[in-house]
Amino acid sequence: MVTQAGFGNHKWAMAVDVDKCTGCQACVLACQVENNIPLNTQDRFERNRSISWIRVERYWEGEFPDIKARFIPIMCQHCENAPCEPVCPVFATYHNAEGMNVQVYNRCVGTRYCANGCPYIVRFFNYWEPVWPESLRNHLNPDVTIRSRGIMEKCSFCVHRVRRGVRKAASESRPLEDGEIQTACQEACPTSALNFGDINDPNSRVSQMKKDDRYYTLMPQLGTSPNVFYLAKVDEDREIALTGAESEGGDGH
Amino acid sequence: MQQRRVLDQVETNRILLNGQLNTPKWWLPTVLGLGVVVLIGFVIIGFMVNRGLGVTGLSRPVYWGLFITTFVFWVGISHAGIMISAILRLTQAEWRRPVTRAAELLTVFSLLTALIFPLIHAGRPWRIAYWILPYDFARGIFPNIRSPLIMDPVAIGTYLTGSTLFLYVALLPDLGNLRDRTRGWQKTLYTVLALGWRGNPRQWKLQTVGGILLSALMLPIFVSVHSIVSWDFAITPAVEGWHSTIFAPYFVIGAVHSGVSAVVTMMALMRWLWKWDDFIRPEHFDALARLLIVVATAWLGFTFLELVFAIYSLDAPEIALRELQIFSWPWNLMFGVFLMTGYIIPVGMWLFKSVRNNIALMFWTSLFVNIGMWLERFMIIVPGLSRRTPFVYTWDSYRPSLVEWSILVWSVAWVTFLMLLFSRFFPLVPLFEQKESQIFVDKIKIGRVNVPAILREQE
Amino acid sequence: MKLTRREFLALSGKATAGAVIFAACGIPERELIVQSPVELPEDLVRGEDAWFATVNPDGRNSDGLIVRVMQGRAKKVAGNVDFPVNMGKHSVRDDVALQLLYHPDRLAGPLSRRTHGGQLAQTSWTQAESVLAAATNTSRMTVVTNPLRGHLGWVASRFAEVRGGRYITFDPVEQGVLHGSIKKIFDADVLPEFDIANAHTVLSFGADWLSSWVSPVRHSVQYGKFRSAETRGYMIHGESRMSMTAAAADMWLPIRPGREGDVALAIANVVIDEGLASAAEITAFTSALPAGILNAYRPQDVAARSGVSAEKIVKAGRRFGSSRPSVAFGGGSAGAHVHGTFALSAIYALNTLVGAVGSTGGVKLNPAPAVEGLSGSATGASFAAWEQELAQWRAGNIDTVIIRGVDLAHGMPNSVDVIDALQSVPNVIVFGTVMDDTMAEATLVLPEKSYLEDWGTDIPEPGPGYAVVGIQQPVVGPTISADEVSLIADARGFGDELLRLAGNDIGASSMQQLVEQTTNGLFNRGGSTASVSAPNSNLFRKGVLQRGGWWDTRATGPSRSFSFPNFIRGKTEAEFSGTSGLGQGIDLTLVPFVSNNLLDGRLSAAPWAQQVPDPMSSAAWATWAEINKEDAKSIEVSEGDILFIKSTSGEIEAIAYPHPGVPRGVIGVPIGYGKIEGGRWAEGRGENVLKIISDKKDEETGALAWAATSVRIQKTGRRLKLPKFEGTVEAFPIEPGVPVLVVAPGETAHEAEAANEAEYRKLFTNDETRREIGRDSIGDRISESESQE
Ligand SMILES: Nc1nc2c(c(=O)[nH]1)N[C@H]1C(S)=C(S)[C@@H](COP(=O)(O)OP(=O)(O)OC[C@H]3O[C@@H](n4cnc5c(=O)[nH]c(N)nc54)[C@H](O)[C@@H]3O)O[C@H]1N2
Ligand code: SF4
Ligand code: SF4
Ligand code: SF4
Ligand code: SF4
Repeated sequence: MVTQAGFGNHKWAMAVDVDKCTGCQACVLACQVENNIPLNTQDRFERNRSISWIRVERYWEGEFPDIKARFIPIMCQHCENAPCEPVCPVFATYHNAEGMNVQVYNRCVGTRYCANGCPYIVRFFNYWEPVWPESLRNHLNPDVTIRSRGIMEKCSFCVHRVRRGVRKAASESRPLEDGEIQTACQEACPTSALNFGDINDPNSRVSQMKKDDRYYTLMPQLGTSPNVFYLAKVDEDREIALTGAESEGGDGH
Repeated sequence: MQQRRVLDQVETNRILLNGQLNTPKWWLPTVLGLGVVVLIGFVIIGFMVNRGLGVTGLSRPVYWGLFITTFVFWVGISHAGIMISAILRLTQAEWRRPVTRAAELLTVFSLLTALIFPLIHAGRPWRIAYWILPYDFARGIFPNIRSPLIMDPVAIGTYLTGSTLFLYVALLPDLGNLRDRTRGWQKTLYTVLALGWRGNPRQWKLQTVGGILLSALMLPIFVSVHSIVSWDFAITPAVEGWHSTIFAPYFVIGAVHSGVSAVVTMMALMRWLWKWDDFIRPEHFDALARLLIVVATAWLGFTFLELVFAIYSLDAPEIALRELQIFSWPWNLMFGVFLMTGYIIPVGMWLFKSVRNNIALMFWTSLFVNIGMWLERFMIIVPGLSRRTPFVYTWDSYRPSLVEWSILVWSVAWVTFLMLLFSRFFPLVPLFEQKESQIFVDKIKIGRVNVPAILREQE
Repeated sequence: MKLTRREFLALSGKATAGAVIFAACGIPERELIVQSPVELPEDLVRGEDAWFATVNPDGRNSDGLIVRVMQGRAKKVAGNVDFPVNMGKHSVRDDVALQLLYHPDRLAGPLSRRTHGGQLAQTSWTQAESVLAAATNTSRMTVVTNPLRGHLGWVASRFAEVRGGRYITFDPVEQGVLHGSIKKIFDADVLPEFDIANAHTVLSFGADWLSSWVSPVRHSVQYGKFRSAETRGYMIHGESRMSMTAAAADMWLPIRPGREGDVALAIANVVIDEGLASAAEITAFTSALPAGILNAYRPQDVAARSGVSAEKIVKAGRRFGSSRPSVAFGGGSAGAHVHGTFALSAIYALNTLVGAVGSTGGVKLNPAPAVEGLSGSATGASFAAWEQELAQWRAGNIDTVIIRGVDLAHGMPNSVDVIDALQSVPNVIVFGTVMDDTMAEATLVLPEKSYLEDWGTDIPEPGPGYAVVGIQQPVVGPTISADEVSLIADARGFGDELLRLAGNDIGASSMQQLVEQTTNGLFNRGGSTASVSAPNSNLFRKGVLQRGGWWDTRATGPSRSFSFPNFIRGKTEAEFSGTSGLGQGIDLTLVPFVSNNLLDGRLSAAPWAQQVPDPMSSAAWATWAEINKEDAKSIEVSEGDILFIKSTSGEIEAIAYPHPGVPRGVIGVPIGYGKIEGGRWAEGRGENVLKIISDKKDEETGALAWAATSVRIQKTGRRLKLPKFEGTVEAFPIEPGVPVLVVAPGETAHEAEAANEAEYRKLFTNDETRREIGRDSIGDRISESESQE
C-alpha cells in the first residue's frame, strides 16, 4: 500500500444525534450534489435501485393517536471491522489508516458481494450507466469521480473534503481545527444532528459526543466497530422502563 | 433379478459406438434445435452485458438472485461425476461402470456452465481479469484471497481441471478403439487424441493407476468445492439465513442429492435415446435410488437443523426471515413445492422397489429432485437478502426478469447441447470398462439360486 | 425490455461475431485504463474553487448562501455561516438552484405567438423587447409576481404604478390569514421571530415549520438548539396531518381539521384554571375576549369536538403554562379555514398568557426594514382580491399582464377559470426559466435569469429579531452550451427589463444600481454593531457582497407590550365544501400540504426536487394520498391503488399510501405536482391538488381557505407501484430500539438497550404477549405487505 505522507494521525468519525434529526432530507440531497450521485429517476424508485449514500429511515412506533414517527439517518458506518472488506475479491473496498472504508471505483468489478456483506445496507450498485443531460453536467463536482455502471458506491466520508482540509492545514503549517472539515451532509444538516470530526483528538466535538450517555452504535452484536455512532432519541413517553431489565436480571454483563 | 444378456465384445462395440459410427436420426434435429436456443441465449447474455445489469430484476438489497442460484445449482449438479465415478471406483462398486463417463461429462459441462454465471452476474464482466489474475503490481495488490469469490474460481478451476483429466484418462482406451474403426478426418482426430494408445499392459497399468490416483485426489476437492461455494454465503454476517455454520456439509450433501439425481435423469435418457437397455439396467436405477434415499434423508436432516438453529437464536430478523420463507406468499408455495419435489415425492416413491425399477418413474422423480434443489438454493439466497438485518425500512422483494429466466433456460439447453455434441464423437458409455466388467462377471451358486458375482483381479 | 427485430438481428450478428462485449457496449477507453497507483480517488483534488455569497429569494425565507464556483460553473450551494437567518445551513430547496440554473429545458430565448390560439415560436430579444415596450405602454396593465420582499417586488410595483396599472402578488398557499392575525395580535406588519432555540416549551398548530412553513431552515437550526439545550425543550404540535413537524414533536395533537383554535383556547383554560399564569397575564389575555367565551372551550368539550383527548389537552396546557419560557405559534392548515383568523389569533394570543411577547424564548418583533421604501413583508394577495382581478381580465378591461415567479395556471383552483381569464387578455407576458402552465397561455415568454445570475436584495421575513438585508449577486456569468456556439439560456433579469422600460421613471437603471444604492444607504446609516464597517462606501459595498448581506444586531424590533383588541369578531366554526352528487365513496377532509421539496410547485422542474423522498411517505416522482388505514379498508384500498379524489370543484387521481399516522377522516395530498408544462421531469407528472380546492375563503381576510374542502374518495380500480424509498414492508421495528434507540429522559443508552432486550425476550416467554406482538404480528405485517405487491 502506498504510504500517505502527512495523513494517518487522524481517525474520522461521525456522531449522529437522533434526537435532533427531523427527517428533512437536506443531508440526502447535499450528499447527492456533492458526490455526483446519478439522478434517481422514477424507474429507480420503482425497482428499488435508487442511490442515496445517506438515507433517512422513518420508523413507526405505537398506534394512533400515540403513534410516533422516528427518523434515523444512515450512511456507511465506516466499520473498523468492516464485513464488506474481506469479501471483495479485488480489494476494491478496503480500510485506510484513518478509519475510513474506502471504495476504489476503478478496481470494482461489480460482484455486489460487499453489499451482501454490509449489515447496514449502505452500499449501492449502479445498475445502469448514470446519465446527465449535457447541461446538467455543468454542476458536477470535479473532485469526485463519476462512477460507471456495474460498480458499487457508497458514502466516502467526503474523503475529498477531508484531503483538501488536511492539505490546506499542512500547507499553512498549522494543526487542523476541529470542525474545519465538514462533510456535505453535515454542512447542510440544519439541526446539527450530524457531526463529523477526528476521534483521535480528545477535545473534538465527536470525542465529546462519544462520552454522552445516549451513545450507541448500530448492531453492536456484529462487532463491526463502526466509526459512525448515534445518540439515542429522547422520549418522555417511553414505556419500556428500566425496571423491565431489572426484573429480568439482565444478561449479567 | 432380471435376466441379463451376455454380450460379446463385437456386439458391445456395435451397440456402444452407435452414436459415433452411425448417427441416430433424432440427433441432428435435436442438436440443431438446442443450438438455436443456445444461440438465442448467448445473444441475450450479450444484450445484458451490453445494457448492464439493469435488465435483471435485481434491486437493493436483493443484489444476488437467479444467477447465483443457478450457479450454485450447476456446481451442485457437477458433484454427480465424482460421486459416481471416484467414490464408486474407489469402493469398487461394479455397477458404476456404464454410467461413469456420462457422469463425469456432466461434471465437466455443468462446471463450465456454472463458471459463466458469476462472470455474467458481475457488473463489469470484462474486468474480471483484474479479479482472478494478479495485475496491479505497481500498487502491490493481489486478489484478495480471503474472499470466497477468489476461492471459488480456484476451487472450481481445480475441480474442472481434475475432472477433465479424469475424464480424459478414462477415455483413452475408447479413443484407441475409435481410431481403429474410423477413416478420414475422424481417424486423424482420434489418432491425435488417443496419444498413441495401444492397449499394452504398461499402458493399461498406467491408465488404471492414473484413474485411481485421480479419484483419490478428486475426493477432497469434491468436498471442498461446494463447501467453498457455501462460504460465499456462510461468511456473510449481514444476511439472515446465510451465516450458518452447517452450510458446508449441508451444501455438499445437497449437491450430491441433486448431482446423483441428475445422473439418474441422464441414464434414463441414454437408455431411451441410444437403446442401451443391456448396459443401463434397472438394477442401476435401483442402486442409485437406494443411495439417494440415504443422501436425501441426510440432506433433509440438515435442512431442518438449519431451521432449528435459526429459530434457537430467537433473533427478530431471523424470525422475520423464516416467516417470509415458510409462511408468506409466494414463498410458502415455493417452500411447499420444494419440499414435495425435493424430498417427499421422490423419496416416498423410491421406497418402493417397483418404482426404483421403473425407468420412467425414476426419470420423473429425479427430475423433480432438481426442480426442488433449484428452488432450495433460490430460497436460501433470495429471502435472506430481502429480509436483510433489522432495517425493516429497506426490506424488498425480488422477481427475476425475463432476461434472467431466459439465461436459466439457456444454461439447461447449453449443457444438454454440449452433452449431445460430445456423444456424437465420443462414446458415452466406456467400452473398456464394460468389457472389463464382463470379464469379471460370473455366477455363484448360493443354495438354490444363481447369484451374479464379481471376481476381482488378483494382483 | 424493448428490442426491435432490427436491433435483435444486429445484436445477434454482433454476438455471433464475438464482438458483442467491446464493440457493442461502446465501453469507453477509461474502462481499459489501469488506475495510477498514486491517484487513489481519495487523493484526487484538482483545481481552485471560489465561493461567492448570495441569497435565495425564491425560497420560503431568504436563506443566505455561498456558492462554490469552479471554471465559471456553479458546483455546490451551501449555507452562509454568517447569515443570521439560516446560520450556515441550507435545505433541499436551496441545492435545487443548481439544476434550475443548468436545466436542459431552460428557455434558451424569447418565444412569442400572435394570438392566443397560435403556436409559440422563437423570436429575438430585439423583437421581444419591442413587443414588450408596446404592450406595457398602457395603464390597462397588471403586473403579477410571487410575494417579493426585496427590490424586485419594489420595482414591479413601481413599474405598475408609473404606468398607472396594478401590481398584485400571488401565492398558491397564501399566508394572508397569518399576516392578518399577526397584525391583529401584535400590531406588526412583518412576521415576528419565534425564539424556539431558547424556549422550553413550543406549542405550534398547523404550521409545518420544520419543513415548508415560513422559515424552515432557521426554524430547524433553532430546533437543533432546542433539543440540545441544558433542559431539553418540549414540543407540542397540533395538526390534522402527521407532518414532519408533527413527527418531531414530543406530543402530537391530531386535531380534527378546523378545530385548532378550539384546542388553543382549551389550553388557555387549563393554564388559567391551574393557576399557571400570573394575574396580570390572565387579565391581559381575558380582557381581549368577549366575557365568558372561554367557557365554551372547556377541555372536555373541546376533546369531543377536536378528537384530541381531554387528558392530552390538559397535559399540553400544564406543560405550556409551567415549563417556561413557552412560545405559541401557528399557521398553515390551521389558518386555512373560513374562520382561519379566529384560529390563528387564538393561537398567537396564547403568548400573552405565558408572558412570551418580547421575551427570550418567546415572540420577538422584527424591526421595519433597514432599506428605505421596502416593505420587508410579502404575502400573496387574498383570493378574494384575485377573484376580482380575474373578473377584470375576463371583462376585457386589461390589455397586458406581466407575470413573473408564479404559475397562475397551475396555482389557481378550478373555481376561477384562470385559463379563460388569461385568454381574455391580449398581451400575456411571462418571465421565467423553464416552461410552465402559465407560459403555455402566454403571448410572449421571456427567459429570465436565475437568481444565481442576477442582482437583487432580499429582506428576510421573518428576520432574526434585528435588521437584516440580504444581497443577491450573480455568482456565475451566462453559461455556454455544450456545442460552444450559444448560451444555454439567453436570459435577462426581470427587474432590469422593467427598469429599462421605465426609463428614468423609477429612479434606477438596473438592479445592480439598486444594490449599489442600497449599500450606500446602509453605509450612510452606519452603526458600530453592523456586520460590515468600512472607511468608504466602495469598500463597504465589497464587504457587504463578501458577507452576503448586511445586518445589525442592535437594530431590533419594538419591545412594547401589547393589549390587543378583542380578536374574536368573526366566525369561530369551520365550514367545509359539500360532496353531494359526487357518486359512491367515502367523504374525507382534504388536507393539502406544501411539499418539502417542490414547495408549491415552483421547484418541480428540478429532478433533484422530484427525487428526494418525502420525509413521511418517502415517496417521490408521483402524487400520493395519505389515508387512514381503517378508512382505506372501508373502501378496500391498499397501497398502490389509484384513488379518485373528487370535490365539487373537480377531481384528481392519486396513489394511495395508507399509513398508521393518518387520523381518520383525513386525506393528505401534496401540493406541487400536476404541472402540464414544466420541463422533462415535471410535465404531466402527478396531479394538481390545488385545482380541486373549493372557493371557501377566510371571512376576515378573504384568503383562500385551502384546508376547507371535503372530498369523496373512490377506487379507480387501477393500481400503480408507488415510487418510494421505503421497502415493501411497513416500517415498524421488529425489535424494540432497533435501529432507533429511544431513551427516557435520564436513561442511558445502555440501560435502554438492556430494558429493550428484556422486553423482547418477554415476547417468547409470555404466551399472551407473543400472540399480541410476537411472531404473529410480524408475520401478519409481512404477509399483508407482501400480498399488496
Ligand atoms: N473466543 C472464544 N471462541 C471460542 C472458544 C473460546 O473459548 N473462546 N471456544 C470454542 C469452543 S470449544 C466451542 S464449544 C464454541 C462454543 O460456541 P457457541 O456454541 O457459540 O457457545 P456459546 O457462546 O457458549 O453459546 C451460544 C449461545 O447459546 C445460548 N444458549 C445457552 N443455553 C441455551 C439453550 O438452552 N437454548 C438455546 N437455544 N440457546 C442457549 C447462549 O446464550 C449463547 O448465546 O466456541 C468456540 N470458540
Ligand atoms: S462489488 Fe466491487 S467492491 Fe463490492 S465486492 Fe465486488 S468488486 Fe468488491
Ligand atoms: S457500513 Fe457497510 S459498507 Fe460501510 S464499512 Fe461497514 S460494512 Fe462496509
Ligand atoms: S459524509 Fe459525505 S459521502 Fe458520506 S453521507 Fe455525508 S455527504 Fe455523503
Ligand atoms: S439533514 Fe439532519 S435533520 Fe435533516 S434529515 Fe439529515 S440528519 Fe436529519
